[in-house]
Amino acid sequence: MKSYLKLVHFEISRFFKLYLILIGLTVVSQLIGAVIVSKGYMSSAEKVMYANQLSVSKYIEQSAFSFSRFINSEWFVMPIVFCIAMLMIYVFFIWYRDWFGKNTFIYRLLMLPTERINIYFAKLTTIMLLVLGLITLQILLVPIEMQIVNGIVPADFRTNFPFYGIYDQEIWGFLYPNTPVGFILLYGIGLIFVAILFTSILFERSFGLKGIFCGIVYGMFSFGVLVAPLILAVSYTGYFYPLEIYLMELVTSIIVLGSAIWIANHLLKHKIRV
Amino acid sequence: MIEVKNVKKKYGRKQVLNGLSFTAKKGEITCLIGINGVGKTTIMKAIMALTPINSGEILIDGEKIRKESYDKITFIPDTITMLPQMKIAEAFAFMADFYKSWNPQRAEELLKFFKLDPTERIANLSKGNTAKVNMLLGLALDVDYLLMDEPFSGIDIFSREQIAEVFTSHLIEDRGVIITTHEINDIEHLIDRAVLIDEGEVLKDFSVEEVRENEGKSVVDVMREVYRR
Repeated sequence: MKSYLKLVHFEISRFFKLYLILIGLTVVSQLIGAVIVSKGYMSSAEKVMYANQLSVSKYIEQSAFSFSRFINSEWFVMPIVFCIAMLMIYVFFIWYRDWFGKNTFIYRLLMLPTERINIYFAKLTTIMLLVLGLITLQILLVPIEMQIVNGIVPADFRTNFPFYGIYDQEIWGFLYPNTPVGFILLYGIGLIFVAILFTSILFERSFGLKGIFCGIVYGMFSFGVLVAPLILAVSYTGYFYPLEIYLMELVTSIIVLGSAIWIANHLLKHKIRV
Repeated sequence: MIEVKNVKKKYGRKQVLNGLSFTAKKGEITCLIGINGVGKTTIMKAIMALTPINSGEILIDGEKIRKESYDKITFIPDTITMLPQMKIAEAFAFMADFYKSWNPQRAEELLKFFKLDPTERIANLSKGNTAKVNMLLGLALDVDYLLMDEPFSGIDIFSREQIAEVFTSHLIEDRGVIITTHEINDIEHLIDRAVLIDEGEVLKDFSVEEVRENEGKSVVDVMREVYRR
């Protein structure tokens, strides 16, 4: 356990500089975006009102400012997409960086006096913590962005937009399911996907070209098992109670995650090559 | 004692190890000798469970390798096993964090012996100094067995001399060492046993001193006999 925690700390510190850059990019882009989108709206409102001799009440009948205008702008969305893309690349890089280049750190990792599966768990935990960290950052940023927008766009121009209103926005609704069960499902399934990918990478690292084939077959099979209850639910609409589908999904998730860990443990112990 | 028993291994269609057997005792320096590509590095990796074998058995003090074994045996490959962006002191902290067998006093002693600066980043070191840090990270562990893969390859003469000096010092005493080389001249006077390997098989396994005393031959003489056969 101690070694696992030390490895998690070590893995996080290896990505930390890049992580700070991602955080910085998100903060800067969104805060600047909040100012630019709000000011942009106000300047266009003033122009339109002046040109058409409209009062504020007349103008907002056509185009009142909603916070969703900012949430759906590229200033808000692009850093999120960029962070997701970087983390998806890092899912691969977190393993391959130990093998390639001048650096053969994998020797050291595999020669640590601890269970080798701890390396897998540590890398998996690191990815999840990085994801959850960015999610938390976003939750903290939105109220600040609301304050900025409210400071620039007078209340007369704004539609009422409560904080929880952001859950109705597409990107936010995807990243933050509005029930705890939905949240656990989304990030639980995310965790299982990363575990499957890690095990597929270990297939490749163990068997080379043959391993790529094994990894793809294994990945597709695992994905098939994972979505089987959902396919059943769609194919036999109304035949299963939602609770039954949920329980089936829970069971298949446990099977898929359990087998990903078991296979990874076997590969790391007996098949891995450096 | 490290026992390698009838180990076979294939890479694709190529049989790299073909029933290779030898033993390496504690307190002795055993040298695996052979040209490049005969399976010297592969056998080292196999001992450390860094590559799987197809058949045979490898035992360390009568047991198969397990996680605790890495506090008893270590491998110094021919490339550095630490992150290049780390400073030497950070590499020490990493080792101290994970290994019970890490000996900080010995690490300091070696640092002075090799004249290395702990604040230096590994990436900025010369090839010779990188090899020394790599060796230091292995030697500062209080392990019973040390495996070294080509410790003299590609480094300058003074670094070679310094590293060779380690073999005659207390740093090696009482430990079992397996070393690979294709340039025997550097260490001929240091080794106790020589294992001549070709095409994944042991051609001859002998005590260097016995052959010297009884037959008046050096390791190179025996190599000539065996490889030119």
